[in-house]
Amino acid sequence: MASVLRFFLIIAILFYFIFIMYFLRKKALHLKYCILWLVCGIVMMVFILFPQLLEELSKMLGIISPVNTLFACELFFLMLILMSITSIVSKQNEKSKRTIQQLALLEKRIRELEEEKEGKS
Amino acid sequence: MKVLIIIPAYNEANNIVAVIEKLKKDFSNADYVIINDCSKDDTLRICREHQYQYLDLPLNLGIGGGVQTGYLYAYAYDYDIAIQIDGDGQHDTAFIQNVVDPIEQGQADVVIGSRFIDKEGFQSSFMRRFGIHFLSRLIRICCGANVKDVTSGYRAVGKRMIACYAQDYAQDYPEPEAIVMAALHGARIMEVPVVMKERLGGESSISGFRSIYYMLKVSLAIVIYRLTHKREG
Repeated sequence: MASVLRFFLIIAILFYFIFIMYFLRKKALHLKYCILWLVCGIVMMVFILFPQLLEELSKMLGIISPVNTLFACELFFLMLILMSITSIVSKQNEKSKRTIQQLALLEKRIRELEEEKEGKS
Repeated sequence: MKVLIIIPAYNEANNIVAVIEKLKKDFSNADYVIINDCSKDDTLRICREHQYQYLDLPLNLGIGGGVQTGYLYAYAYDYDIAIQIDGDGQHDTAFIQNVVDPIEQGQADVVIGSRFIDKEGFQSSFMRRFGIHFLSRLIRICCGANVKDVTSGYRAVGKRMIACYAQDYAQDYPEPEAIVMAALHGARIMEVPVVMKERLGGESSISGFRSIYYMLKVSLAIVIYRLTHKREG
């Protein structure tokens, strides 16, 4: 990998970490949901700081240009992150459904209790 | 036996009074509850004015989430049998006794009201019948349940399946999946003839491209449900 590219990638990943830390500090991101983002950044950083590793991996996989291995890695992480987001959305959907249903049951109970109370007084 | 009739209603201001009044005449020895799925019309106001029994969902959940609320209610108040009928008047409540009987007599756990047994009343369009037939075959292959009218929302459910449905019920287009679920839980499923009418007002929620999506989604749901769940009981 050209050293210019490496230099820019390192800067980019540093910014990436600074962004994540900034959001974490502002509580705009839950650590639980951005562990994958952090792991992805660390793996990228390791590959860029130790290009031998990346070259070895590329040879093993039969990829000619190591930077393509980097892209493939990135894509893999993106897929993982997207899947985790879909899973989180699904869980949220289930939870809000449950909340709405219980709310409806409670509303009916309150309504009946109020009617009972009015009937007595 | 404590019997609850679940009536999901979304924008049924024009039909709900007729449905409930007929229901009270046809089948008076049961409780009923309307599930108002956040209707945009006057359904809620009408329920309130007529002092009907209703549950009011604060946000729209769709038919699956709505009906499931009914099952949750049945479960919470310890009903023995839950019956679901549509709020649009397509399901003739004169047949409720026929749907309940097999459960009261202990012959079945889930009873589906079917328009394809006696072939009376509204039979739906050719394309729809074809789709329903396909899903019926698919369900028979996947779990052995022999049901013709798999999309019918006219059904009665015994105590054990009330608990199951209260816990887990598909959110959109739930009817065929609910049959697979019942079969895999070892429920005895029975089909009895009922008469359905053509809808009076409003449009079907499933038409055009939606119907292709419907078939794909439901078929996939059935197959995946079968692949990911073991037979119990």
